[in-house]
Amino acid sequence: MMKKIGFLVNPIAGMGGFVGLKGTDGVVDEAVERGAKPVAPVRAGEALDKVDRSGFMFFCCAGPMGAELLEDGGFDYDIVYEPASRKTTGDDTVNACRVFLENEMDLIFFCGGDGTARDIYSVVGDKIPLLGIPAGVKMYSGVFAVNPRVSAELFNRFIRGELDLTDAEVMDIDEEKYRSNVLDSRLYGIARVPYEKALIQHPKSIFTSESDDECKRRIALFAFEFMHDDSLYIVGAGSTTKAVFDALGLKKTLLGVDAVKKRVVVARDLSEKELLALLDENPKTRIIVSPIGAQGFVFGRGNQQISSRVIRRVGVKNIIILATPSKLAGTETLLVDTGDRELDEELSGYTNIICNYRMGQRKNILSF
Amino acid sequence: MDEKILLSEDEMPKKWYNIQADMKTPLDPPLHPGTMEPATPDFLKAIFPMELIMQEVSQEKHIKIPEEIRDIYRLWRPSPLYRAFKLEKALKTPAKIFYKWEGVSPPGSHKPNTAVAQAYYNMKEGIERISTETGAGQWGSAISFATSLFDMECTVYMVKISYEQKPYRKILMKEWGADCIASPSNVTQAGRDILAKDPDSTGSLGIAISEAVEDAATHDNTNYSLGSVLNHVVLHQTIIGLEAKKQFASVDEYPDVLYGCVGGGSNFCGAVFPFVEDKLTGKKPDTKVIACEPMACPTLTKGMYAYDFGDTAKMAPIVKMYTLGHDFVPPPIHAGGLRYHGNAPLLCKLVNEGVIGAQAYHQNEVFEAASLFSKTEGFLVAPETAHCVKATIDEALRCKETGEERVIFFNNSGHGHFDLASYDAYHQGKLIDYEYPAELVKQALANLPKVE
Repeated sequence: MMKKIGFLVNPIAGMGGFVGLKGTDGVVDEAVERGAKPVAPVRAGEALDKVDRSGFMFFCCAGPMGAELLEDGGFDYDIVYEPASRKTTGDDTVNACRVFLENEMDLIFFCGGDGTARDIYSVVGDKIPLLGIPAGVKMYSGVFAVNPRVSAELFNRFIRGELDLTDAEVMDIDEEKYRSNVLDSRLYGIARVPYEKALIQHPKSIFTSESDDECKRRIALFAFEFMHDDSLYIVGAGSTTKAVFDALGLKKTLLGVDAVKKRVVVARDLSEKELLALLDENPKTRIIVSPIGAQGFVFGRGNQQISSRVIRRVGVKNIIILATPSKLAGTETLLVDTGDRELDEELSGYTNIICNYRMGQRKNILSF
Repeated sequence: MDEKILLSEDEMPKKWYNIQADMKTPLDPPLHPGTMEPATPDFLKAIFPMELIMQEVSQEKHIKIPEEIRDIYRLWRPSPLYRAFKLEKALKTPAKIFYKWEGVSPPGSHKPNTAVAQAYYNMKEGIERISTETGAGQWGSAISFATSLFDMECTVYMVKISYEQKPYRKILMKEWGADCIASPSNVTQAGRDILAKDPDSTGSLGIAISEAVEDAATHDNTNYSLGSVLNHVVLHQTIIGLEAKKQFASVDEYPDVLYGCVGGGSNFCGAVFPFVEDKLTGKKPDTKVIACEPMACPTLTKGMYAYDFGDTAKMAPIVKMYTLGHDFVPPPIHAGGLRYHGNAPLLCKLVNEGVIGAQAYHQNEVFEAASLFSKTEGFLVAPETAHCVKATIDEALRCKETGEERVIFFNNSGHGHFDLASYDAYHQGKLIDYEYPAELVKQALANLPKVE
């Protein structure tokens, strides 16, 4: 069956980076003045070059938001959205995605940065899977492939029905702060993305694979087993930690931090202050987190409520990190950036990450 | 000193060494899995020959090796003891490194030392066919080789995923005339039950054991055979250490520290028990004896010393051993032969008493050591064996720092020619360092009902 692909390019994405602006939100004119050249169309073109030409139909936006590139590439396409001007904005992305959602696309194949991913996700959520062609230098959201060529490979395999879907974090980066060297990225939502299953080794070099959802269930089953004691468990954001709540029969705040004791929810969606107050009443506490975003941040991106002060109070040895094999395969090391240098050092080094039922994987954690 | 220290065929030991005779207290008895009462020989008679059951419980210090078995051993025994001059030179260590090379046997490992003996005793008692299980195929090929020597039939239940994806061991078994069946199979009730629930099951060692045991229990002419763990298997393997002891004596050396890799424990016990004898009897009280195991399945270093089932199917006797729990599925490391939740009860008792020590290693560091070994000594060792190569190299490097001329021995239990893909994966950086989360598992198990 022909797959319906929503194709979208944010033509200004990535421009700011080349002229030292760290992001392009709200500073397009300044970027152009400083001599920035469009990046996204080039990257999208690189990906389109490698895309197989059967099994799908492109639905796109007019002009620089997609149609021009598809025309150049010799693709068939239907224009479903026209931006008001060639100077496109985030509103155009949002409006185009509304049309994609109405027309029930099978995938949104887009080129942009973290801001573009956030705008798309704000409309489609997890209803349509996303696959990003990275236009920026460093992407924090997990919806991007590592480069345009790999985006195209994943795209081709998705069209052939060879890939499963998994969860990926969409990050919300405050570019205003980022430009003044404060990296404030928060977990914005959890999108669905096509992914290549991590190869799982079997004895004597047999390679096979388990689905990400299955691994999450098995991690959660293990957590269910050890969480019977009287410790307070502070549980971070994300879909892997949500699986733990599912196993406990509890409802998780997907993007927030909840607390559990004796397999019962004590408090939900806690702020740093509320966490510190809880710690006063619970001397025996442990933290359960899962790495967030494309770079695998254990702390510092997406779990900011679990601040350096909270971590110090709980103690480094009382941290339990959960991650699926495919998440771990996607990043060579994990990162921490709590804002407390000394603590980051303490958190760094080889750590056993729970990756399956009663099973861990040794992974190196670096301070950012 | 020669690089190879050899014995003539006449010098091959004529008796196995039974360590039970030298242990201060007897082993805790195995229990019947149904009644939880001490297992009687009658329970074992359905699947084992009487002679092996007697060996299992014997307190005799030495047990004669039948001439027919020694005659077959001559094909590859006595195996050489090597002085690893080239490895020593590469490490610039003052330590003297020795290894016993068991890769010279036809199937390429220590396994036929017991496979031949087990096939022989079964043949003597009129058994015409052996059923057994195999994971990756080491044991399956050894028992196939052994049964072919006595014109016996052999049925090997091979874990299906290995059967399909690792064809070479299977071909070897068929070459020696064995019937190799992918497990779960339609041949046994245990297999049919699994397939009814999950037609696509890729199998497990636990399922394969159930099939092999059922096959033996339901056919009068058939017995079951196990490649490790049991006392009689360990007994047969002591020929390794007995030879090594003679070889060391011939060059006027004695090891200060001994290493071997441990899955079920048989190659390690076989190689070190004749030296542990000197430790137990006070002749050499300071010898260090270390069992090497994977971090991913750290039975001796992280397990509990308790009665547990030997198999997933709960059909085998319950024995007291270090265990990670019979329902533990070890992560898929390349040293498939070390993926066992328990260990030989004899070894566990000696570890518990502090006579033998244990050390666990990560998969990447183990392959790194094996790779250095193949580049110096030339032999490409099995991933299992690589664990004690790692331990040996660590100790030799420690000696380099302290200047000690320690004599280090390890049992080089087999070659890795069927494991080339694992070496390839290591060199491509694809190996994951799995690690058993011991503390959390302990916490998880804290409120589960006890086996005892």
